[in-house]
Amino acid sequence: MKVIEVIGVTKTYNPDKIPVYALRGVNLVVEAGEFTAIVGPSGSGKTTLLNIIGGLDRPSTGEIIIGGKRLNQLSENELIKFRQKEIGFVFQSYNLIPVLTVKENTEFVMLLQNIPKAQRDARTHELLDSVGLSDKLNKRPSELSGGQQQRVAVARALAPKPKFILADEPTANLDSVSTSNLLEIMEALNHKENITFVFSTHDHRVIERAHRVVVLEDGVIKEDNRQ
Amino acid sequence: MWITIKIAWKNIWRNKVRSLVVIGSIIVGVWSVIFLMSFSLGMGDSYVRNAVKNQYAHIQIHHPEFIEDQEVRFTIELKGQISSIPNVKNYSARIISNGMLSTGHGAKGVFIKGIIPDKESKLSDLDKKIVEGDYLSEDDTKGLLVSKKMIEKFKLKLKSRVVLTIQDQVGTIKYAAYRVSGIYSTGNSMVDESQVFVNEKGLRNLILGDTVPVNIFHEIAIEVSRPDSIAQVESLLQSIYPIDTIQNYKELAPDLALMETQIRTSGFIFIFIFMLALIFGIINTMLMAVLERYRELGMLQAIGMPKLKVFGMVVWETIFMCMAGVPVGFFLGWISVYYFQGRGLDLSAFAKGNEQFGIDSIIYPITDNALFTQLGIAVAITSILAAIYPAIKAVNLRPVEAIRKI
Repeated sequence: MKVIEVIGVTKTYNPDKIPVYALRGVNLVVEAGEFTAIVGPSGSGKTTLLNIIGGLDRPSTGEIIIGGKRLNQLSENELIKFRQKEIGFVFQSYNLIPVLTVKENTEFVMLLQNIPKAQRDARTHELLDSVGLSDKLNKRPSELSGGQQQRVAVARALAPKPKFILADEPTANLDSVSTSNLLEIMEALNHKENITFVFSTHDHRVIERAHRVVVLEDGVIKEDNRQ
Repeated sequence: MWITIKIAWKNIWRNKVRSLVVIGSIIVGVWSVIFLMSFSLGMGDSYVRNAVKNQYAHIQIHHPEFIEDQEVRFTIELKGQISSIPNVKNYSARIISNGMLSTGHGAKGVFIKGIIPDKESKLSDLDKKIVEGDYLSEDDTKGLLVSKKMIEKFKLKLKSRVVLTIQDQVGTIKYAAYRVSGIYSTGNSMVDESQVFVNEKGLRNLILGDTVPVNIFHEIAIEVSRPDSIAQVESLLQSIYPIDTIQNYKELAPDLALMETQIRTSGFIFIFIFMLALIFGIINTMLMAVLERYRELGMLQAIGMPKLKVFGMVVWETIFMCMAGVPVGFFLGWISVYYFQGRGLDLSAFAKGNEQFGIDSIIYPITDNALFTQLGIAVAITSILAAIYPAIKAVNLRPVEAIRKI
């Protein structure tokens, strides 16, 4: 089943001055349950593609279809709602809410969705258990290591049961042990919950574990390999 | 909703110093507005109370034409029914004439008030304002009470002989010798410089003649037990004096009503200036807070926090800061007003200036619930208004740019 469809997407920055072509006609289909890495050198357009797929940015031309919904047709507010329900985000620099605890950060999106407390608590405990942080429920992000914070970010992204997770360089700030832990957790969750993962990376440890590797260069897909 | 409020509350403690500076400024502002307003109200009350006590009483009754001409012939009758009107605390009647006071050192136009000593002392506490000598007795028709100011001006002393020149009701100029029996000071220099008191009996004979009944006067002054009963007493008096002019102190002296209005108006100006300062303080602080958390706010929108909730979060942060500051400001304001209500604020150093305007040298601040309510509402509105611009900034950021911000 197609989760993400990228059809002829281009993205040009500064089109009226000195144009920068970040994406030049990208076509990509991601199926449900895939564990996909988008790789490429810096400036190849990985983050731009992820932002466009995530509805954070709009393409200059082309179309993004997520679960049959065309993102181009959604207003700003509809896009926010859409992201809240359908997409989980994991950022390079964790981006947790510093004033909230691990538990509160994990259940944050569920709170926005008004999910009942009992359901919320069960899901939060289940996820924090999966990422090995059930003993850190009441800790603040500042009391956790980088690896632990990124695991909380993964738990938060998964909490509302999104269609897929977008992770932009999720291991860029982690040491090798933390990276290995995080990848194991992400893989396990990919299997257990059949969640689709799409991440940008140039970390070879991530690439090795990806089931599919999409190579992007100068805004164009050069290779698309399933392992 | 609760998560927005919870984050907002926690956010204000992220930068404790900055938040405490804003909260502190709110506390100082609220406290100072309360204290300044209470002080002004106390000052105004002192002015009005003194004017009422020394000059006007709460209500006066005159012959309709006496107000315009102050001629001796425009008299009214002192009727016994006044004493049976509810809320009438004291009343007295006066014979009034303009005249000339002559001494060995000069002469001055004065306002001569013939009083019923016993009733006048109850009405205006004139006996308590005697600083030297004696108050007038019922039988003393040659005694004169002059102010300390006049004593200094005309180099008079107790028992000094002065001559009053007065015109009687048919226009004949009459002269009467009086002896200074007492020196008074009401605390209002302007009033003290212009009036002298004598026993009404002597003055009556002099200007109205001995054939006029003893219950005929020019002015009846009434003190009520509660200022809010003035209107009710006035309407009852109207039935006793249907053709005479009945006026309350605000009608007699519009400056007193103006004073009260001015104090209220200046209070609103104080509040407005404070709110203006507060609004810029809050905007500055909240803008800093928003710019500092630019990436976080972008992330919140990226993961699906609706713009309205982001907006609400910033507004709640300012409301919380105000909610933290206002009660403390109220408490400090109340405590300081309460403290000085008991002891008074001694302005003796400026008393001479105050006395010129009939204000006591010790001011007792006055406050009311309306001030607290007005101030509370003003701060709430200000905090919401001040939050709007930073909140719009927070809402209008582009998540895709914000999350990349270092």
